[in-house]
Amino acid sequence: MAESGKIEYRPISVREALTEMKDASEIMIDLAYSAALFNSHELAEEVLELEKRVDYLAYMIDMSTMLAARDAEDAQHLTAVTTVAAATNKISDAAADIAAIVLKEIGIHPIVRKAFEQVEERLARAIVKPNSILVNKKLGDLELAAKIGVDIIAIRRRQKWLIDPSEKERVVEGDVLIVRGAPHGVDELKALAEGKIKELE
Amino acid sequence: MAITEEHFKKIVDKLVSLKDTSEIMIDLAYSSLLLNSRALAEEVEALENHMDDLHTDFELLVLSSGFTPEESKDFLGLIRLGVVTEEIADAAMEIADVVLRGLEPHPILRLVIEEAEETVTKITVSESSSLVGKKIREAQIQEETGMWVLVIRRGNWWLRPRPDTVIKAGDTLIAAGYAEGEADFETLASGDSKTTEEDE
Repeated sequence: MAESGKIEYRPISVREALTEMKDASEIMIDLAYSAALFNSHELAEEVLELEKRVDYLAYMIDMSTMLAARDAEDAQHLTAVTTVAAATNKISDAAADIAAIVLKEIGIHPIVRKAFEQVEERLARAIVKPNSILVNKKLGDLELAAKIGVDIIAIRRRQKWLIDPSEKERVVEGDVLIVRGAPHGVDELKALAEGKIKELE
Repeated sequence: MAITEEHFKKIVDKLVSLKDTSEIMIDLAYSSLLLNSRALAEEVEALENHMDDLHTDFELLVLSSGFTPEESKDFLGLIRLGVVTEEIADAAMEIADVVLRGLEPHPILRLVIEEAEETVTKITVSESSSLVGKKIREAQIQEETGMWVLVIRRGNWWLRPRPDTVIKAGDTLIAAGYAEGEADFETLASGDSKTTEEDE
């Protein structure tokens, strides 16, 4: 069990933090359902990793909004922000609950597969090996969406999460890529990240 | 006693509905906040009530499956998943509640949501629209207008648009996208564009 990190106030942009929370919570839900569909421990673990990030952001938003309120009117406006942040956090908690069903092996009934397999796209995790041709390339230059129909929706780099990474972001050895796309493209991307395929056509 | 195929299918359908409804609620809730729209927030509220009924039906179906002790773990997983969809629906309701309670959405909220979508519009498909009878996949709404359909309201029912969903006259489409596409989208749904489109 990972130890919960100590939380200290840091000046952040509430707007950026809440945007990241919203994006992360949506990715978490998709990842969690995919984890249930494929009974995948690795996807479930990524959900829990993201959950830690969202929890951290929730604390930062709380502290920042408290500091921002100067009078009753400010407080009234900011309540809307904290309420939405709390609801977004709740969505990410719900995703973590799905991950827990998978990780605790409570059981994924065949019904679940039947219900979720209507989804045409799938999510997967790919870990970038040192010999991968992806290393040091900019996401924009790779043109993954055009070439193999895959989007990189998040990158986990050690303890850091890049949600919805920019085109300018370079892939680094050891990156955990969270990808979304058609099953075939997703498999191809995994092979590229692992250095098993050396060409991207 | 083994679970019958019919019973199995019923549970699958209910689970799909629970998942879809909870996701529609999230989309609508954020949109209601973006537009400070009571009407959309009220849709979320109506769906929340619908969700409660769905969830009860789902739990009753699962519990009446006649499973064996060995299967009980798998069925527990099903029950838990149902609970999760309900949690998501509750979170959506909390977001919509900000609008219903008349809390002025802070400018930050608008910025956060606008990153993804600039505007949300609601329009009823007229009899003469070229969309009538088309599947979402064929309708090419996003290609033609830059707006994408978040949810379809058909009478008292909400549908999540899937590639195979057929659009009917009288459907209310709630769509998000860039403000420039709104007029094109309205023309497409109201049917005025039918001739021009065929001319092309």
